[in-house]
Amino acid sequence: MFRNQYDTDVTVWSPEGRLLQVEYAMESVKQGSACVGLRSNSHCVLGALKRSVSELSWHQKKLLEIDDHMLVGIAGLTADARTLAKYMRNECLHNKYVYGTPMPPHQLMADVADKHQRTTQTYVRRPFGVGLLVASVDPLTQKPHLYQTCPSGNLYEFYASAIGARSQSARTYLEKHHETFGDASRDDLIVHALQALVGCVSGDDELTKENASIGIVGKDEKFTLLEGDALQPFLDRLELKGGDDDEEEAGDDAAAEAEPMET
Amino acid sequence: MMNSTTFGAPLMRHSEGQVVLGGNGEDVVVKPADYPGREQPYEHRFSPYDFNGGTVAGVSGEDYLVIAADTRMSSGYEILSRNTSKLHQLNPNAILASSGCKTDMDQLRSVLDIKSKIYQHNHRKSMTATSTAQMLSNTLYGRRFFPYYAFNVLGGIDAEGKGCLFSYDAIGSFERTQYSATGSGQAYVIPFLDNVIGNRNRTEEKPTLSKEEVVELMKEAFVSAGERDIYTGDALEIMVMTKDGVTKETFELKKD
Repeated sequence: MFRNQYDTDVTVWSPEGRLLQVEYAMESVKQGSACVGLRSNSHCVLGALKRSVSELSWHQKKLLEIDDHMLVGIAGLTADARTLAKYMRNECLHNKYVYGTPMPPHQLMADVADKHQRTTQTYVRRPFGVGLLVASVDPLTQKPHLYQTCPSGNLYEFYASAIGARSQSARTYLEKHHETFGDASRDDLIVHALQALVGCVSGDDELTKENASIGIVGKDEKFTLLEGDALQPFLDRLELKGGDDDEEEAGDDAAAEAEPMET
Repeated sequence: MMNSTTFGAPLMRHSEGQVVLGGNGEDVVVKPADYPGREQPYEHRFSPYDFNGGTVAGVSGEDYLVIAADTRMSSGYEILSRNTSKLHQLNPNAILASSGCKTDMDQLRSVLDIKSKIYQHNHRKSMTATSTAQMLSNTLYGRRFFPYYAFNVLGGIDAEGKGCLFSYDAIGSFERTQYSATGSGQAYVIPFLDNVIGNRNRTEEKPTLSKEEVVELMKEAFVSAGERDIYTGDALEIMVMTKDGVTKETFELKKD
């Protein structure tokens, strides 16, 4: 009701106590194509659905390397995301230079969240229009962690999450299977990530090695990016899963297919 | 290229005046004014550099690179460590070997690591050996008026799969060569490599050497250098790089 009067500046509160500009920025995240993340006790995997502007153009990169032990998946304004990735990379390099050790992810995430918050409390700037899923391994404990930031500056840690367009179906899938992730193998995690992405494609499209993208960090594994032909064996496992006689899994696929039809 | 045979903090000889290190390894004597009946005053100057010794050498082949450095770190006539590495792999296809002032070597290493990483982030591939060579030169020249006291040899496998070797002076002048050595023992190692790798002063045809043969020759070279150069010894680290990867070997040298 009051939205039009109080939504021009980020420094103006609405009568309901909301910062509408920040909420609009979060809408921008929902417009970006899907990005999912999940972790086990040894690895953290990000999956992304890459969009292409036309048949002639390439698919937009969604997974960016930050350091050997950290990668980020983006949804929303790509340019904003690249600024943040650049900042994170420089912080990691600086930390390694000054302290001789890789940057602790939780420390970097706190700084990234604060960077987001600053833009929500100043007159001359606008919030970042991008959501980040950060897959990382803590260099001290060797445990993987998955973090999520949003334009408001809130920082969350998840076992599994999904952001972007039609990500609800991915979240439903992840919620259903998250108890199996802890001890899952690296390859199983990748298959889960791709399976979660299957539900996020629009309309007639399907998940192919051109538009899917997987990034992994792990306890003993430096950042690895899987794209193109390297994905085919995992995508093949998806098809097999769909063809299984197991009723539950067939039900899952049907549910995943059905999700895009709903809101 | 700068001659690197004389190093050290300015020496004090009060009867003759202050002795300072000039260019080209010459010593210059500066005499302060005469003071009747007293010792002449002299000036203490803090030298930002220390020479921590060591010799470094490299040989590039048709499809391999052999790069070696001793592991002794010294200061003056004292040994500070018998077990420090002078070799550092910068990229999948470049190894940096340096001798000189240890802290400058370490700092140069950190700076180059960062620059390599930034390149990797921006270009989504690692630097080629020749690009790394240019980057090292530029980095050294960036400190033209307060140099990194590091004498470098950079080795790698170039984009065509051939071994490559670059030798530097402290301010970034560099050249691609087949073999090179730098550091306190360079005067003992270079003539040996000239004869055996460069085939100088030999009448027979230049042989093609395998990487195993070159590794053995390196050991010989360092054993000889260790005999006469007090700053070279303890152990020798040899890294061999091919397109398939890098292997490292340690060979004991005399501890005296």
